[in-house]
Amino acid sequence: MEIKYPDVLLDSLENGHMIIDDKFIVSYWNRWLAINTQISKEEIIGKKLDEFYPNINYKVLYRKIKTALLINTPSFYDTNSNVKFIPMNRNKVTTSSLMLMQQQVTISPYIACENKVMVSIYDISELFEAKLSLKKEIEKVNKLNDKLEADQEIIDRNIMMMRTSFDGVIIDVSTFFCQFFEFKKDFILGKNISTFKQDGGFSATYKELWETIRNKKCWSGELKLKTYKGEEKWVQSRITPILDIDGEVLEFSAVYHDITNEKLLEELYITDPLTKLYNRAHFDEVVNFIVKHQRKTDTDFVLVITDIDHFKSINDTYGHQIGDEALVSVANTLKDSLREDDLIARWGGEEFVIMLKNVTLDEAKTIIEKVRASVEKNKINGTINATASFGITKYILGEDIKKTFKRVDDALYEAKKSGRNRAVLK
Amino acid sequence: MNLEFNEDQIDALREFMNVSIGAATANLANLLDAFGTMHIPKIEICNSSELSQKIESTIDIGSMYYATKQLFTGKFGGECMFIISEESARNLGRHLYNATTPSRDDISDAVIELTNILTSTIVSRLTQELDTQVQFFVPSSQFIDAHSIVNSEDVADYSKIIIISTILDFKDQKINGNIYILTKDEAIKSLKILIDKKIEEIYG
Repeated sequence: MEIKYPDVLLDSLENGHMIIDDKFIVSYWNRWLAINTQISKEEIIGKKLDEFYPNINYKVLYRKIKTALLINTPSFYDTNSNVKFIPMNRNKVTTSSLMLMQQQVTISPYIACENKVMVSIYDISELFEAKLSLKKEIEKVNKLNDKLEADQEIIDRNIMMMRTSFDGVIIDVSTFFCQFFEFKKDFILGKNISTFKQDGGFSATYKELWETIRNKKCWSGELKLKTYKGEEKWVQSRITPILDIDGEVLEFSAVYHDITNEKLLEELYITDPLTKLYNRAHFDEVVNFIVKHQRKTDTDFVLVITDIDHFKSINDTYGHQIGDEALVSVANTLKDSLREDDLIARWGGEEFVIMLKNVTLDEAKTIIEKVRASVEKNKINGTINATASFGITKYILGEDIKKTFKRVDDALYEAKKSGRNRAVLK
Repeated sequence: MNLEFNEDQIDALREFMNVSIGAATANLANLLDAFGTMHIPKIEICNSSELSQKIESTIDIGSMYYATKQLFTGKFGGECMFIISEESARNLGRHLYNATTPSRDDISDAVIELTNILTSTIVSRLTQELDTQVQFFVPSSQFIDAHSIVNSEDVADYSKIIIISTILDFKDQKINGNIYILTKDEAIKSLKILIDKKIEEIYG
């Protein structure tokens, strides 16, 4: 049997090849086409293609044949089209989204003088499937991105957030943060975080905050910050260090929540309205907490009770208004003379209670002596002299607090009894 | 090698392009039964980063387009791009598919057919003039917005790009589109050598 080399070659290819003329008469049909269409060479050769495939748009096919022959170059069908040139079933069982083979159809000039072209059909289903699946994934990513952008917009408009560099330079802030603190975003960016810090005070809080976050831990707590116009605001803060790939702190992110109103109510609840010192209820709460938990750092304190000497006489002589002024004046002297960490409260009437932290009795005596001298020096309403007596005692670890109060009361009684305007240790 | 063209080279290229475009117009009339005009081609050499901007400057950036790209290889290789507005593409679909409301597939296939005729004729004729051969690949078409036609990041690796552009206009059918022949670096060098050789042959 004679071997026809072009036939052997075309039959061995994994694509379909047919030769047709401009009248659509088939003169060649390779093995791949025979297998995939179930139409043998013998059946189709010499016949018109439209006898087998009447649904092909023959006007378009004619134009493409003419183009190939005239320009002597291939013409093509759209590879993405849903219309299949010759519909062929796909037999892929696993994960196929295509029922029919996706085809690339190329019409190449073959024998121009006989108006013959070669129609080549390539199976591009795998590629097309990959393209479809990529498109689907991109659509999913785009949807997620849109959602993320919408969420970001909501967060930006409703949550106070800030990002700073390692040394506290502001990198980004949310719109809500800017609105709350009445700053323009452009103004804030590049500034140091200290722009919002209240002048003075809270150094212990800030020290603890920086130590925590620089040690790569989150810090949560309350901060008192100021707005552009200088208004005080309390915020509940959570500051998180963001680490680089080597685990070093790159920047910090902070989320804030306004608690100003809660703080105002809380202050009202624990503050004596006249002297603005803490009230007895708050002092009791703190002392009871310390005694109950017996933490070493808290239990080292000296208790002091002070009483304005001859207060009744001041009230009777100058009236209650001056009496109130005397209470405020002594309260301010106590505040100004003592440390930020010491706890001072109005105990009731003309009595005040003080908790001096981490001092010995001797040190307490020296401190209180200075306070006593200041009370004596400060004139009430510019003219009236007032003095105060002080009882001092140290809390003994594990003791019932009532005993400590009894001791300090006794010391105050002794100070009063022995001539007033003095401090007595017990 | 210098990638800039001298005046003689530009003149020769423009002349070859005029011949190619003439052939394309004739083929379009013959094959698509539409009598159109094509403008005198504009030849520009730009940096790759400018391509997107150059193309956007020639079209309405607020519209959607069918952008069809077809590669060709050989001594002179590159990419042909045909950009046609949605409206023009629909008119082309109507004309080639004899349908009042052509389907998206019909429109896309019609655009590919037109692109193939244009590209094949223009580039084949140009390369014929330059005594070299090219091979064409299957064109692919996308329906996209003006900004997505060329992604600047994707072309950033090339240093220089030649843009040969013209406008195709079928007044009767209300079809018009922009054609760009883009080629870069090595192909620009080859093109210069081929043009010089041709100039040498003609003028001795």
